[in-house]
Amino acid sequence: MIREFFSELFSGELFRVFVYDFLYFPTVIQIAVIFIFIALLSTTIAYISILVRRYRGHRRDVRRARINPKIDQLITENIILNEGILEDKPIEDITINLEGFRKPLYKKRWVRQALIDRLMEYRKNFVGTIGELLRIVYLELELDKDSFRKMKSPRWERKVQALVEFTSMDFTIADVNILPLTNSKVRELRAEARHAYIKLSKNEPFKFFDIATEPLLQWDQIELFKIITSTKDIAIPNFARWVTYSSNKTVISFCLKLIVYYNQQAAIPAVVKLLDTKDHFLRADAINCIGKMKIEEVEATLVNMYNNQPLNCQIEILKAVGRIESGKYIDFLRQEFLHATDFDLRKNAARSLVRNEWMAKDVIQELMVTSTPDNQLILKHVMNPLIKY
Amino acid sequence: MEESSFWEVLAGFYESTVFVYGTTLLLIYAMLAIFSLIAISHFVKKNAFVDYGTLVASPLAPGISVIAPAFNEAITIISNVRSLLTLNYPQFEVIIVNDGSSDDTLAKMVDEFELQEVEFAYNAKIKTQEVKRFFKSVNPAYSALLVIDKVNGKSKADATNAGINAAAFDYFLCTDVDCILDKDTLLKLVKPVMEEQHKRVIAVGATLRMANSSEIDKGVVVRMKPPKKLLPRFQEIEYIRSFVLGKMGWTLVNSVPNVSGGLGLFDKEIAIRCGGYDYQSFGEDMELMFRMCRYAKDNKIDYAIRYIPLTLCWTEGPETLRIFMRQRTRWARGLAQLMFAHKKMLFNPNYGNMGMVVMPYNFFFELLAPVIEFTGIIYYIVMTILGLINWKYAIVLLIFVYTYSVMITTISILWDQITFRYYKTWREVLLLCVTPFLEFILYHPLIVIFSLRGYYFFLTGKKHTWGDMQRKGFGNKPETKAKVVLAN
Repeated sequence: MIREFFSELFSGELFRVFVYDFLYFPTVIQIAVIFIFIALLSTTIAYISILVRRYRGHRRDVRRARINPKIDQLITENIILNEGILEDKPIEDITINLEGFRKPLYKKRWVRQALIDRLMEYRKNFVGTIGELLRIVYLELELDKDSFRKMKSPRWERKVQALVEFTSMDFTIADVNILPLTNSKVRELRAEARHAYIKLSKNEPFKFFDIATEPLLQWDQIELFKIITSTKDIAIPNFARWVTYSSNKTVISFCLKLIVYYNQQAAIPAVVKLLDTKDHFLRADAINCIGKMKIEEVEATLVNMYNNQPLNCQIEILKAVGRIESGKYIDFLRQEFLHATDFDLRKNAARSLVRNEWMAKDVIQELMVTSTPDNQLILKHVMNPLIKY
Repeated sequence: MEESSFWEVLAGFYESTVFVYGTTLLLIYAMLAIFSLIAISHFVKKNAFVDYGTLVASPLAPGISVIAPAFNEAITIISNVRSLLTLNYPQFEVIIVNDGSSDDTLAKMVDEFELQEVEFAYNAKIKTQEVKRFFKSVNPAYSALLVIDKVNGKSKADATNAGINAAAFDYFLCTDVDCILDKDTLLKLVKPVMEEQHKRVIAVGATLRMANSSEIDKGVVVRMKPPKKLLPRFQEIEYIRSFVLGKMGWTLVNSVPNVSGGLGLFDKEIAIRCGGYDYQSFGEDMELMFRMCRYAKDNKIDYAIRYIPLTLCWTEGPETLRIFMRQRTRWARGLAQLMFAHKKMLFNPNYGNMGMVVMPYNFFFELLAPVIEFTGIIYYIVMTILGLINWKYAIVLLIFVYTYSVMITTISILWDQITFRYYKTWREVLLLCVTPFLEFILYHPLIVIFSLRGYYFFLTGKKHTWGDMQRKGFGNKPETKAKVVLAN
């Protein structure tokens, strides 16, 4: 039978079988035959796609490898080595020779995109006059129009690309264009719009905090933190405003981190008020903020509330007492170190005792002798400079 | 009308069952191919403008403990630890757990990294074999390194548990000390945790690949190449299919069954609360994942397990049949063990996707697949002997299964190429693309046989040799041999 099948196959009989007998095959075999063709077609398409993708990628790499040195040369000659910079002229008096950039080659869309990418790359490494000249090139060559075209695209990833370009080139756009995007349902667009808003808005860069209904995710916070703390000439507001009034918990949590970073003493009352919040994660953030800002006046409040708190807040209180280093609550730390059942509480109490060593030297010595072997080990652990955590 | 005999009824039932089974499996693969494409496209779009450098410089980055157990790894330990210490991340520690090595693994580390024994407050939240000593470096350049010396626990699980107990941070990355990690592994794995809006991400995984023929310099993969030898190359395409198509597909519907023991970022709190790795399990990584999900469901934690399609880890795949057989036998045994231990979750709606998707899929299409394939071959042989086979139809069906399997693997290679053009030359891609044509004939039967061997060992409770992994090491290093016998 196998022989018969193969003799049919090689004598062209298979074609007859498939074409004429197909309708008389059992359903299972009909389905199988259809799927064989689908599988063959899909595999072929997959191969062609791999081929095309790799070819396109390769071609893009080759083109970029060819154009980038030319762009670099133009930037180096006309901007970085510009005589005006060497002569320390004011920026208005510096002339940039844009002839090279205006050659027909630079009218092609992919070359313009390559130019934008290179300008952005250079802007990362150069600030001051050179950074400003790079921005002028972006404007003079009307590359902002390319960015605007992306901004108008219905595709969110194009909008993100436009915002990245605007932000990198410090190109001011109207608040009304960005603000709605700061609450977009697409996380990436929302995040990029927020960055752009902080960097580019000339009025109130933090206004979106007022209207933020979507959460500031941890990743967003990392990016925003960098933008806020690295943008020059940005008017830093008192973040207590959002700690007090925002209904968005993630905005409050983020503002607490900014309060610590900018050491905003004026925000302390708002932070202290937050100790009454029912959300224990937010409360722990507030305690953390108090500790890092070493607000000695609140230390008593923290110690008083300690026993009613969940574990995460208790740990933060112990850390805060250590950070404040007032030396007033050695007994409290000693008690916790000796009697807490949770390992992390004992470890943090020990660490805070060591941080208050200037007042707690005798207590630590006593504990090294009288406490249990486990507790002694904790003390030795936290006192060892080789062990960081 | 002539009455059917018992055997005819049985044969009819078997054929129908296998037909439904096969069709369902093929549909699931087709569905996974679509799901994974969506997930990969999302990933590529979402990460097109991500600057990981922002996280590197951030004081807000969450800390991560990297845990790597080591057993008799003296030859490669120094370069491997150095590689881990050069990971690009602002706040991390590297915990090497020397699991009672009988060679000079520990002594070499002590010498090289200027280690000094320290009194360390160790909280054994997960029970392990006795932990004897802790070492920290007096050289500030290695301040992130912590070495634990413990009594051999006869499993990677026990050593990893000791590392989890000593870990300082809320997340831990579990890896093998002989794995090579991308320097940005921590940055890329922590991102899905940090950008999740509603769920608690309890584990994140990424693609693993064979390091066998790749160019490696000082613990860093400088040029990725598909393995030259056929056996590891089969494994390479199997990994691509499993990670890029399978796990990326499952991640879209939050039903990832497993985060590999070679590379996975885990939520420490949940891992500890559910008891850590099971030292008796042969598939400890999948077993932990099941228990973490179970714990999350039992405690009403809205969890997620995420996968990213980037290759962040390279491992040395077995090059000989003997070692490969041991590995796959162990994996199959682990799967059987796992299914038996968690049978209550099967079709249990209380466990959500885990009970209704992950468990049934793994039970029917991972655990039972080799059994059904084997019975199919027996059935084929019996029918051939009895002269009851319609060869025309049989060969059509065989061609169907063959072309379908080649299609699925080729699609997964395409998806992989969409993520990143991983291989430099056309020749390397071509080499990989032709491998699926041989996989069905040469590699797949081996998997079936070794899986059945694993099930047999599970059912008979036979002693199993753990590890016995002859590593060649990376960069033409001499061979080293580790052998631990695990009594079950």
